[in-house]
Amino acid sequence: MLEAVGLCKRYYQGELDVVAVDHFTYAFPPGLTAIVGPSGSGKTTLLNLLAGFDVPTEGEVRLDGRVFSTLSEDERAEVRLRHMGFVFQQWNLIPTLTALENVAFPLMLAGHSLKERTERAQALLAAVGLERRAKHLPSRLSGGEQQRVAIARALALDPPVLFADEPTGNLDSASGARVVELLLAQAQAGRTVILVTHDLELSRKADRILHLRDGRLMRVETPSAGLTRAAQSL
Amino acid sequence: MEVLALVYRNLRARPVRSLLTLLGIVVATASMVLFLSFGEGLRRALGAELSRVGPAILVVPEGAEAFSPGYPELRPETLEAIRRVAPSLGIVQVIPTAVFARGGFDPSSSFVFQGLPAGVTARDLYPNLRLAKGSMDPGDWGAVVGGGVARRNNLDLGKTLRLSPQVTLRVVGVLERSGGLADNFIYVPLPVIHALLNTGNYSSILVAIEPGRRAEEVARALEERVSGIDAQTTGDVMRFAERAVRISDLVRFGISLVALVVGGLLVANTVMMSVYERIREFGLMRALGAKRRFIFGLVLLEALVLGLAGGLLGLLLGQAASGLVNWFTLREVGLALSAVTLRLASFALLVAVVLGLAAGFLPARTASRIRVVEALGRV
Ligand SMILES: Nc1ncnc2c1ncn2[C@@H]1O[C@H](COP(=O)(O)OP(=O)(O)O)[C@@H](O)[C@H]1O
Ligand SMILES: [Mg+2]
Repeated sequence: MLEAVGLCKRYYQGELDVVAVDHFTYAFPPGLTAIVGPSGSGKTTLLNLLAGFDVPTEGEVRLDGRVFSTLSEDERAEVRLRHMGFVFQQWNLIPTLTALENVAFPLMLAGHSLKERTERAQALLAAVGLERRAKHLPSRLSGGEQQRVAIARALALDPPVLFADEPTGNLDSASGARVVELLLAQAQAGRTVILVTHDLELSRKADRILHLRDGRLMRVETPSAGLTRAAQSL
Repeated sequence: MEVLALVYRNLRARPVRSLLTLLGIVVATASMVLFLSFGEGLRRALGAELSRVGPAILVVPEGAEAFSPGYPELRPETLEAIRRVAPSLGIVQVIPTAVFARGGFDPSSSFVFQGLPAGVTARDLYPNLRLAKGSMDPGDWGAVVGGGVARRNNLDLGKTLRLSPQVTLRVVGVLERSGGLADNFIYVPLPVIHALLNTGNYSSILVAIEPGRRAEEVARALEERVSGIDAQTTGDVMRFAERAVRISDLVRFGISLVALVVGGLLVANTVMMSVYERIREFGLMRALGAKRRFIFGLVLLEALVLGLAGGLLGLLLGQAASGLVNWFTLREVGLALSAVTLRLASFALLVAVVLGLAAGFLPARTASRIRVVEALGRV
């Protein structure tokens, strides 16, 4: 389980002291958690801290009870590789690698054999409906297809936690829906999916909505339409 | 596999830039290979040359430079002294010679006359020489012409050679070309050279020893028992030449170092630019879980591939250039001046690899220190 305890991130800009994340405490249960808030409310900064891209000024992030935010850069990278998957808003894929190679990339970092990673990457691409795009470079894929490749890659090492920062921000509604569907399926399968969005419609599909303002967690909402919960209660 | 694909496709993504960089290293390596090939060629030619000389020991005036029989300075008394100790040292033949050179820098207008005593022919000095036409023995007023000079200057039987207003010799023999320095000499009677230079001295004395004797020992004994001489064996000459060639190797490597450094800077610049263009990509890799070492290696590999590919192509180009030089010098002076030996080729590749690694180090370090948050941007 991913937990944030008293997480703070301050930026010192001359005289001005910006508190981007202000004493954020929350334990993320499995299922889909949406983080919403106006622009500048600290969503991206919070995600950076949770994923270990950046270190907090105060407080800590724990993964399965172990403090993660104080590890070294390379140790955090290793934890990310094994325990976290990522889907960003854009520039998700390595431009010189094919769709298949992009999906296989984390498997290569983890030391899997060529045969293993090719088979696994093919299966993952098939699962997001892109088996016929395996040999294509990212530049030849549509925005929605690129996001689906990114989801396939995020699942390569079967991580318990998935991060998605505005994954539908650059997509038309049809491709966006497709991407959301895939993320929801992962949440239903028991992964902890953390979705940053300012799309309120989209956040309604989450099991929980964290409302952020000025870096503070204002409110935790449990929408009635929470799909995972609905599915679980069936 | 993804790693090599990354390196290869990234270099291919900007083909003109990569090719220009490659060209820089190719030219740098090729020039280094060509420069150093002269040293190797010199060693090889010298070794071949010495193996053609019959007598095992060359006696020159004390302090004279190896392999450069200059103005005759060995006095007749010295010759007598050598003859006196000859039987006790196992010396079977003592051949005094005197050399007279005429002409300038252009090989086709310069001549080297080697005076031989009566009864001694060029073949006693260089056993692999063969007669093409005429006689091997110059007689009293004749000249036997080496194959190389004969061809360059159209010297045939019956032609005359004017050594001075008073001395004119007639060509009585023409030798076949043997591929050595001996092809460039004109063999004449020793008294002619003595008259010409108005001296009774010798430039050098060749000493043949009986089989089973060790040339080095005989040479040292000669030097001990006859004063004012240096007795050189092929080994001595080789060692002396090796020292000289090595110094000139260093000088030539120093010159080519300029080109190498420029080539290295080209690689560093190209790879650095490609790092700056791919900050987001490296940030993404780090976000996905790549360690610093991975990024470092990836960038270093890119520089290494450039260095190695450039080195290989440069080696080929250098070899071609060396072949061209040899074609030219073989035609002009009958010697292959340049040689791309295995050890030179290995050295060139090693330099290219080191160059690639050195050039890639800084960009690789920069790339490996990219921070995820900064690379991904604050969207
Ligand atoms: N690297 C930084 N340096 C200074 N201020 C920053 C930096 N990153 C974020 N901030 C500030 O922190 C606040 C939160 O930003 P951010 O996390 O990007 O919000 P959001 O993603 O919700 O739009 C903003 O006021 C922003 O200006
Ligand atoms: Mg943001």
